Amino acid sequence: MRVPFNWLKEFVEISDAPEALAHRLTMSGFEVEAIERIGDDAVFEVNVTPNRPDCLSVVGIAREVAALYGRSVNLPDLTIVSEAKALDFNIDVLDAELCNRYAGRIVRNVKIGPSPAWMRERLEKCGVRAINNVVDVTNYVLLEFGHPLHAFDLNLLKGGRIRVGTPRSVLQSDNPMRFYTLDGEERRIDPDMLLIWDAEVPVAVAGVMGGLNTEVKDLTTDVFIESAYFEPTSIRRTSRTLGLKTESSYRFERGTDIKIMKKALDRAALLIKDLAQGAMYGKLDIYPKRWHPYEVKVRYSRVNHVLGLALTHGRILESLQGLGLDITEGSREFFIVKTPPYRRDITMEEDVIEEVARMVGFDNISPELPRTAFAADDAVSTAGKIMPLKRKIRAAFLTSGYTETINYSFIGKADLDLLRLAADDERNVCVRVQNPLREEDAFMRTFMLPSLIRNLATNVAQGNRELRLFEQARIFLGRPGEALPEEREHLAALVYREKIKSLYRDETPDFYHVKGLLEALFADMRLSGVCWKRSEEPFLHPGQSADIFIGESKIGFAGVLSPLVVNTLDIKAQKPSVIVVELDLTSLMPHIGAGADYRAIARFPFVERDTALVVDASLDAAAILGHVRAFRSDVIEDTAIFDVYQGASLGEGKKSVAFSVRYRAIDRTLTDDEVDAVHAELVQHVSEKTGGHVRA
Amino acid sequence: MSEELKNTAIEELKTITSLPELAQLKARYLGKKGLITLQVKSLGTLSAEDRPPAGKRINELKDAIEAACSAREDELTRKDLAKRLASESIDITLPGRTAGIGREHPINTVLSEIIDIFVRMGFSVEEGPEVELDRYNFEALNIPKDHPARDMQDTFYVSDDVVLRTHTSPVQVRVMEQKKPPLRFIAPGKVYRCDADVSHTPMFHQVEGLMVDEGITFSNLKGVLETFVHQMFGPQVPVRFRPSFFPFTEPSAEVDIGCILCGGAGCRVCKGSGFLEVLGAGMVNPKVLGFCGIDTERYTGFAFGMGVERITMLKYRVDDIRLFFENDLRFLRQF
Repeated sequence: MRVPFNWLKEFVEISDAPEALAHRLTMSGFEVEAIERIGDDAVFEVNVTPNRPDCLSVVGIAREVAALYGRSVNLPDLTIVSEAKALDFNIDVLDAELCNRYAGRIVRNVKIGPSPAWMRERLEKCGVRAINNVVDVTNYVLLEFGHPLHAFDLNLLKGGRIRVGTPRSVLQSDNPMRFYTLDGEERRIDPDMLLIWDAEVPVAVAGVMGGLNTEVKDLTTDVFIESAYFEPTSIRRTSRTLGLKTESSYRFERGTDIKIMKKALDRAALLIKDLAQGAMYGKLDIYPKRWHPYEVKVRYSRVNHVLGLALTHGRILESLQGLGLDITEGSREFFIVKTPPYRRDITMEEDVIEEVARMVGFDNISPELPRTAFAADDAVSTAGKIMPLKRKIRAAFLTSGYTETINYSFIGKADLDLLRLAADDERNVCVRVQNPLREEDAFMRTFMLPSLIRNLATNVAQGNRELRLFEQARIFLGRPGEALPEEREHLAALVYREKIKSLYRDETPDFYHVKGLLEALFADMRLSGVCWKRSEEPFLHPGQSADIFIGESKIGFAGVLSPLVVNTLDIKAQKPSVIVVELDLTSLMPHIGAGADYRAIARFPFVERDTALVVDASLDAAAILGHVRAFRSDVIEDTAIFDVYQGASLGEGKKSVAFSVRYRAIDRTLTDDEVDAVHAELVQHVSEKTGGHVRA
Repeated sequence: MSEELKNTAIEELKTITSLPELAQLKARYLGKKGLITLQVKSLGTLSAEDRPPAGKRINELKDAIEAACSAREDELTRKDLAKRLASESIDITLPGRTAGIGREHPINTVLSEIIDIFVRMGFSVEEGPEVELDRYNFEALNIPKDHPARDMQDTFYVSDDVVLRTHTSPVQVRVMEQKKPPLRFIAPGKVYRCDADVSHTPMFHQVEGLMVDEGITFSNLKGVLETFVHQMFGPQVPVRFRPSFFPFTEPSAEVDIGCILCGGAGCRVCKGSGFLEVLGAGMVNPKVLGFCGIDTERYTGFAFGMGVERITMLKYRVDDIRLFFENDLRFLRQF
């Protein structure tokens, strides 16, 4: 709301400079966002919160200023010196719930022309375009009193009658109808939208915009000025449905002043009489639904209890002076507040308490830390569990050289198509946003890989040739039949490197890079039972990727992005290598092991034995290591595979896998004979299980 | 004779430049058929009286040569090592070999800082869904359908009853439905609004806070948020509370801090006011407490919320919020 300082001064005495006044207003809840100097005037840009529509006017702000400075408001002189008897003109309100009051005045023999300069300037300062004297007056009064008015060309209103009602009540019709608003647009009117009608047809969308058929133009001689109270919810619904937001609808949907509307009407009629030389006729006023003030009981003790103050009764009552509230002292404990018609926001005790705080000044409430007991309920929230895990994972990825990303939760159909998911893949079941900013961002992501692929494309396009990225965030799996999707915490990472000239020998990242990091992480989490199986993900290289399981449940995947996917990305580099990972942290969490379990460390020397077994080339290393580890012995401390070799000397379809075993006993030094015996047994066990033999 | 032999040996030692040569020299004097060894063997030919003094003399000679050899050996070894080390010299001005240490996303850095401050003050951490029922996002927070307060937030709709949460405030309601006072928690997370420009992105982060107990006052709200601001931005930064409006708090306040860029003198970022708006807050509206079945006579509480992007932008002087979500490495590597 734009408020010119000089206009404000017409209604309330102000001794402060504009800046000082702006500060007072800001600190009382009317934030002055900017002050614009125009000539000798200063125009305030006031941010009026939705609960205070009464301040969407110069008079409204003047009332606040008066309350702040302990002054009074001087409204313009509205004495009607002369008016003719009301003409034979009828008003019928058919939907009193939607239109609580409807008033109007007729002014005849007006001379339409431009408004005087002072009025045009004020309108312009407030951001309103001047049109002609009659229309300008309705806008001027709207800005001044905050009450929207509408002027009809009286001679275009048929049958000397105004009716207020919905198509349903006027026509008993359930069908939508067409209507041209002032802006020349054809509007589709639903049967429940409130309209203004003459004896035959609609002439305005109530509270939103007038009709083209009764517009005041240069040749207009007689006007009918409307001033009404429309029910806010109905206006808001109509305005939203029509996609039509006006100065009028903005105020009506927030709530207007059912009493000041009469003053606004008189003010407009008087101004039109002055500026357009018209003859004024008596007021018509239909008031089918009376307004009654709210009565709010306020306890003095509650005021101090909520604010943390120790105000006296007198101080509390004094602070509320000047706000137009009708206050009755009830007893030593409480007082009763009756609200004026322009303060429909005050309906309960706390609303009055806020007024006390505002008038006392938030600055005069001193800060004090609460004295409170420790919360008895120490049940750990889900965030309390996932947050430390996410912090641990973040630390691991950061130290491994990965940079953290945060992506929008949105993806599009193209992102999913790119990854070639099977039709029945649950990741196709997305939550769809009805009003996305763009179609590419219409879905909530069901996994994170699509976002990281977007990051890859962005970065490669910018010439970033080496990427290690990771992100932890929620994903959203649609659940048909349920209102809300399933939200799960995921981790995803992407490693990318082009073949680039570099100082050191090129270490192209591969599957094992990422696997190594994940294995270290799993060990750190004490995650047991992790199993790596060849991946069935359609977007991964089938030979260089794995699905990661714990028991029967899949917790993620890791591997080289399929060339089929990479080729569709606009990457010009030769042989780019892209490794991706995604883990479902929600399903992994229950498998995280308890804390450390201390075991004594052996003080005796160790002995190591290495053995290379020749086995079928198709046999996985994991299988061999599995057999090694399945061999039970209390002197085996550690086992590891240290070499895998395939060559002609081994024979067709064979490979050699070398592993080492470290032996150590907790209570004695092992002898060579003892170790040789155990190791021979172990080798025999593994040979039998794998069908292999010791490499010569 | 022996004195001469010793001098010859020492002279020869001086000319030796390598360890193999030294070994040859040692063999010539001290080896099985070495000159010294031969002299020792010749002792047998001497008479019993002559033998001890001659033996003593030869031993002294032998010790002297051995000592000289070993000194020379040390010297040569040192020289050899020095030569090898010199040959192994690398250019230490070349850059090191590393995958580097990754950078935490600046939003998460600031988010962690905020969380940690409140956790130190005894707040626990709660969560709620990002795809949320209209009922929790609006209705329970005293924002009915067809209410102008809905204009304060541009909402992404999934259906008539489901939205992408526009703020973290629904977590207040979800937690208060489950747990009873005393309550003291924060709820960090992602929120969504249908808006995109230099200062708006369709997704951003908020931290919500709630404290409900007997005797919680507006003065306490000021105390807690002032403490937070001083820990987050420094004890010298002024804090200012001014009246505002949120449907779910009454009284409501906007919390401004002294501009951390210009120190309050007035600059482009604070639009000359010397203050920056960083938090919204207020006493929990009794309608919200009542919705959650909490006795409003016995309990009062305060709630607050802040935008993490806003604080991050101020802290690092980032002038376009969209940069946070483009994930260009050239941006992310700066933090």
